[in-house]
Amino acid sequence: MSDDIIRVLYLDDEEPNLFSFKAAFRRDFEVHTCDEPHKAVRMLDDHEFHVVLSDQRMPRISGVEFFELIMPDHPDVSRVLVTGYADTDAVVDAINKGQVYRFVSKPWNEEELRGVIRSAYALNRSRVNSAQQGHQVLGALDGFAAETERLAELARSGGEGVAASVASDLATLESNIRAERERFDLWLQENQRRQG
Amino acid sequence: MSLGRPPYGRVRGQILLWITFAAGLVGCMDPAVRTVDALQLDVLRDPGGQWAAEDVAFHLDELESLDTERPNLGSTHDAFWVRVNGWQGAPRQARITLENATLDSIEAVILDGGRVLGKQRSGAAYGRWEGLIPSFNLPLNDQHALWFRVRSTKPLVLPFSLTRLDEVNRVREQRDLAAALYTGIVIAILVYNIFLAFSTGQSAYFSYTLVVVTVGLVQWGFNGYDRLLWGHIPWMARNGLTVSGAASGLAALVFARDFLEVRRYTPKWNRLIQVLLGVYGLALVAAMVGRPILAYNLVNLGALSAPAMLIMSLVSWRRGNSTALWFFVAWGIFIAAVTAQALRDFGVLPNTSTTALFLPLGTVFQMLLLSFALGDRINLLKRSSDMANAKALAASLENERIVKEQNAELEERVRRRTEDLASANSDLSKTLEELQGAQDQLIQTEKLASLGQMTAGIAHELNNPINYVQSNATSLRRDLEELIEIVDAFSDASAAVAEGAQGAAKLAESARDKARQYDLDFLKQESRELIRGILEGAERTSRIVGGLRVFGRMDGDQLVEASLADLLEASITVLGNRARSRARIVTEFADGVPPLYCQSGRLSQVFMNIIVNGVQATESRWEEVEQREVRVELDRVTDADGADKAVVVRIQDNGTGMDEATRQRIFDPFYTTKEVGKGTGLGLSIVKGILDDHHADVVVTSAIGTGTTFALTFPLDTRPEPESP
Repeated sequence: MSDDIIRVLYLDDEEPNLFSFKAAFRRDFEVHTCDEPHKAVRMLDDHEFHVVLSDQRMPRISGVEFFELIMPDHPDVSRVLVTGYADTDAVVDAINKGQVYRFVSKPWNEEELRGVIRSAYALNRSRVNSAQQGHQVLGALDGFAAETERLAELARSGGEGVAASVASDLATLESNIRAERERFDLWLQENQRRQG
Repeated sequence: MSLGRPPYGRVRGQILLWITFAAGLVGCMDPAVRTVDALQLDVLRDPGGQWAAEDVAFHLDELESLDTERPNLGSTHDAFWVRVNGWQGAPRQARITLENATLDSIEAVILDGGRVLGKQRSGAAYGRWEGLIPSFNLPLNDQHALWFRVRSTKPLVLPFSLTRLDEVNRVREQRDLAAALYTGIVIAILVYNIFLAFSTGQSAYFSYTLVVVTVGLVQWGFNGYDRLLWGHIPWMARNGLTVSGAASGLAALVFARDFLEVRRYTPKWNRLIQVLLGVYGLALVAAMVGRPILAYNLVNLGALSAPAMLIMSLVSWRRGNSTALWFFVAWGIFIAAVTAQALRDFGVLPNTSTTALFLPLGTVFQMLLLSFALGDRINLLKRSSDMANAKALAASLENERIVKEQNAELEERVRRRTEDLASANSDLSKTLEELQGAQDQLIQTEKLASLGQMTAGIAHELNNPINYVQSNATSLRRDLEELIEIVDAFSDASAAVAEGAQGAAKLAESARDKARQYDLDFLKQESRELIRGILEGAERTSRIVGGLRVFGRMDGDQLVEASLADLLEASITVLGNRARSRARIVTEFADGVPPLYCQSGRLSQVFMNIIVNGVQATESRWEEVEQREVRVELDRVTDADGADKAVVVRIQDNGTGMDEATRQRIFDPFYTTKEVGKGTGLGLSIVKGILDDHHADVVVTSAIGTGTTFALTFPLDTRPEPESP
């Protein structure tokens, strides 16, 4: 997984910062930069990013507000807030709304920021993977339930006596499996939401 | 005798002494006539007094004998002829005397048979002064008959006697002396009472002086001395005694009324007094209209007043008038004397030297006692006045005590009140101190808050350029190492080519590979960009720091000559993103604005505060940043000659604006439109304080939906005051 290309998006209203960021991390990650929030939103829609970083103080919109904006469509992307001055309001806001994975203050420490981006990527991967695995389990459960239903149908068409009782058991089993599947689905969603 | 006693006490004592002495002298006298022999008297009534002496002979058969020693024929208009016998054979020095000075006329007639041998007249009517005892020295022989024709409106008391001449003279002397003493006593009493009357102002004393004068006159009249006063006036000679008697009665009644306070103690007796006054008045009238006998009888009737006064004084005394007792005693003595006189006149008492003195002595003691009574009354008055004074004094002392107590209480209350006030005052000043402290703290908080805001702005502003300077340096080093690697590779290849060594081509190929691998063109481009970023960051950092220098000390009161354009620019820079990212900040500074002598740090606080307020006001109104605008203008203010006199700063926003009520209160301490806890409400009040210190004229115009303009005019000719503590 570490061999995969890590796609990073950095949003800052000050162009020199963007350039510095790209120069610093272009060797490690696939770095994309943007100085306009609405452009950044478009870029997220067009490409898959693993990590998105944003400056807190920007004209018109703050970093926290930007994260809030992209959350519904891109829940899995890891969000890192970069701020020139750690004002308490922003920190409290971010924690309460739960959109931020890490804070990084300017001037950044390159190594530290690199590590932060890597771990943010790992979180993104695990989130995506657990979602995929969950969906695989759901699919398996769906298949199992369908097979059981088919067997129950067969048993019913086999006549009276034992066959009928088997069919009844199978039908019960099928409904149990489906109930289990619903519960797992709910858990999965809950888990995802919590990780986000 | 203590000094406190009034003088009349001593005077009274002395008078008492003198009068006792005088009375003693009188007592030693022997004014009674020692008769040689008794005389036989026969009397004839001459109705209307028509007869001549010759007529007597025809009425001898009507002669009546008078047996008593002091015959009293009563008051009548008739004349009486008295034949005196028993003088025959008397020595030559013997004289016939008639001891009655009140008779109007006495005519001694010597008859020889029917012929009148001689006459001798005496009596009040003739105005002749014979002294107390008229005596008759007649050329008699034993064959003559001696007749006396007597006629008087007063009672005809006829104590004829035969007395030796030296005896007559002696008695006259004694009587004169007694009269003189009596008069002296009366005058003494009179003077004493006049003195008292004037010194006390009591009406009783005035009436009493009248009593003394009239009683004295009456006594004079009884003894014939009044003829010294008015003997030459025939009417007065006849009526003097009646008039003085009536006058003394009137005076006594008036005095009694005053002295006994009749209206107070015995009001019913007042009527009787009025009746008696009327009687005396009538007596005077009768005397004046020529009815002397009626007048005299009325006076005698008025004498009823004596016992009446006696009883009245007793009643008055019983009713609590203590001085009435004096009056009772005095009047008692007087009545006793009068009674004694009457008894003597009627022959009940012998006519001795003692009984002759009863009346004058009685009146003396009466007057004396009444004097003392008056003194006593004065004492009483004085005592009651003293008592009243003492009462008043006690009341006044009590009042004083109460006033003192009240004063003390009042003082206590005032003291307590003062203490309360003092403690309230100290509480107040403590509260004030606490308030002052709280205010100082709030101002400090506001200062720290604005300092914190500034620090945040500055930190943010500085951290960005520092960030890319630092980051670019790191990146540049990496790029540089790669570039060096490429350069080294080419350098090796180039050396090999130069030496013509084997594998030079291969080395060159490897170097080219390296350059391709590191993307040499990109590296060159990137390096240049990184260096440009570093330079830009450094430049920006130094610009921010330069801006900070303009402020001077943030909290200080140093006076510097500063360009307001620089100061405004620096303020906006320091506000940085905080302002610029939230609204458009447009500056318009006129050229040639003179520098201002000011406290630059504090003024930048003013500008930042107003600008941030403006930004917030626009945020509340507009969604889009582009629509929010804060204009900051700087301009000159010149006088008519074009000389600079002030600098004006206008900070104008297109925000929500304020209503009039809010506009009027924006500079009030603790007034805020922000939510609780969001603002201290001190920002603009501190701004106002700083502007006042700079003598700046502040005009705020605002309208809802239009925006607010702060126009700050700084005069150039006044220096700002140091920051108020």
